[in-house]
Amino acid sequence: QMLRLIYTTTAVQRKNVGASGPAKYTEAFIKKQIEEFNLGKRHLANMMGEDPETFTQEDIDRAIAYLFPSGLFDKQARPMMKHPSEIFPEQRKIQWGEDGRPFHFLFYTGKQSYYSLMHETYEKLLNVEKYQDHLIAQDLPLQKEKRNLAGSRWLTKIELEEMLLEKLSDDDYSRFVQLLQKLSDLPCSDIEEKYIQKFSKEVPVQMEKVVIEPLQYDERGVAFSTSEGRRKTARATAVVYDNGTGKMTVNGIDILHYFPVLQDREQLLFPFQFLGRIGKHDTVCTVSGGGRSAQAGAIRLACAKALRSFVTGKEVEFMRQAGLLTVDPRVKERKKPGQEGARRKFTWKKR
Amino acid sequence: RLMQVRWSRYNPSYLEPEVNKELYQKPLEELTEEEREQMELKAVRPIKAAPPSLSSSVFSDPMVSKFTNMMMKDGNKVLARSLMTQTLEAIKRKQLEKYHKAPENEKETIECNPYIIFHQALKNCQPIIGLSNITKGGKTYQVPVPLKDNRKRFLAMKWLITECRENKHRRTLMPEKLSQELLLAFKNEGPVIKKKHVLHKMAEANRAYAHFRWW
Repeated sequence: QMLRLIYTTTAVQRKNVGASGPAKYTEAFIKKQIEEFNLGKRHLANMMGEDPETFTQEDIDRAIAYLFPSGLFDKQARPMMKHPSEIFPEQRKIQWGEDGRPFHFLFYTGKQSYYSLMHETYEKLLNVEKYQDHLIAQDLPLQKEKRNLAGSRWLTKIELEEMLLEKLSDDDYSRFVQLLQKLSDLPCSDIEEKYIQKFSKEVPVQMEKVVIEPLQYDERGVAFSTSEGRRKTARATAVVYDNGTGKMTVNGIDILHYFPVLQDREQLLFPFQFLGRIGKHDTVCTVSGGGRSAQAGAIRLACAKALRSFVTGKEVEFMRQAGLLTVDPRVKERKKPGQEGARRKFTWKKR
Repeated sequence: RLMQVRWSRYNPSYLEPEVNKELYQKPLEELTEEEREQMELKAVRPIKAAPPSLSSSVFSDPMVSKFTNMMMKDGNKVLARSLMTQTLEAIKRKQLEKYHKAPENEKETIECNPYIIFHQALKNCQPIIGLSNITKGGKTYQVPVPLKDNRKRFLAMKWLITECRENKHRRTLMPEKLSQELLLAFKNEGPVIKKKHVLHKMAEANRAYAHFRWW
């Protein structure tokens, strides 16, 4: 008979393992990391011969890239030294006390921060409505300074998740945005302006500042301007001359012969017709690639871009709003494996 | 989890382009509040590229291009467009014939512009109310339901096209048959108008179930 030692651990019998989710990094741990980071920053500054007091994050990055050069392609894989709050994601502290009783009254809903946020926002809504009724009862006018819709946007779902430290579903997010929208659309929402601003972000109004090229002059003194356009796989260059009769040549061939279809010719003339300059410009274009309609679209874009130099800033804005100056991003969708085409599936057979 | 099936290459913040020249030449004072807001929004947001079927010329009409797209088969836009132009030409010829034969006092009542005839015919064919299948307690009922504008236009165009494709003699060509149907619809006669009236009668007959609708 052999005596076999059987080992059992108490770990298996440990209850309340819920804490293995949150608190992977305790507060003490993170504090220690921050101290170490600050010390390390000063040491690095000393090593590089710079002043430890004014050593910014950019200097740290440069120093690390110098001391530990790495040829790895993924920037996230290279050695980095950043503040611990950027490296260790923020985590929620344990939501219940020693007796096991949760602190928050909505803990058992599962999404306590989301529901408490919804409750708060609704409370603000009711507040605003009460204030409105108050004003109406006193026959005072309801003020409405229009919030600039154009300049701000609501937080995205990811940003909201970071703010609440909790996962949200798309449905939840859209409900929250609807509620916020409702709140901000009320006439007297100025009272809760601070609360709303927590959830809105400024959109940088500066769109791509496109530099409009000045006109060039050729030997005869005629002003002209060149530009390129593309659509699907077609690439086109257009040279638009001033003081012309409205003739258009593509790859040395007149447009009437190159584009027998009316729709393509309409597209070519679209920018000129929009600005009212049909008989005034001569155009010479070269185009390659793509199909019939793609080439027409590419030349249209090239002509519109070239016309920008001939025209005032306001008209350029009008052209942009008419959709003449945007590159069409639609391309052929790739075929997927397991399907016959991009969307079409194989015939479904029951057996 | 919401999985996108219908997605587009454009970012959702892109707005639709506005091709109509006159809107841009209007001075600022004439715009209403909403239009001003729209303009401000357009000044900040990016705008999608204009599709090849859209143009600012006087000859392009959104209804006509929609109809041409619906008539198109296998992506043959060239053929569909030529059929459309032939239809409009046929309408013009027939109306001109009538115009020259008519006595003096009736000459003004005869409409010669094929675009006006097309628009009026489509308007006459649009049903006001439609039926939708609602299942309640195991049985499916046909419930009368108000239709949206888009749906009305779509149904009118669809009926016209199916009518022309099916109920014709083998030798007649599409433009001829279409022009016939459009002229009949313009006068509120013809099989498409009859279909519309049948639908209205069905809706009236099923009036009892109208309360099943919850939207």
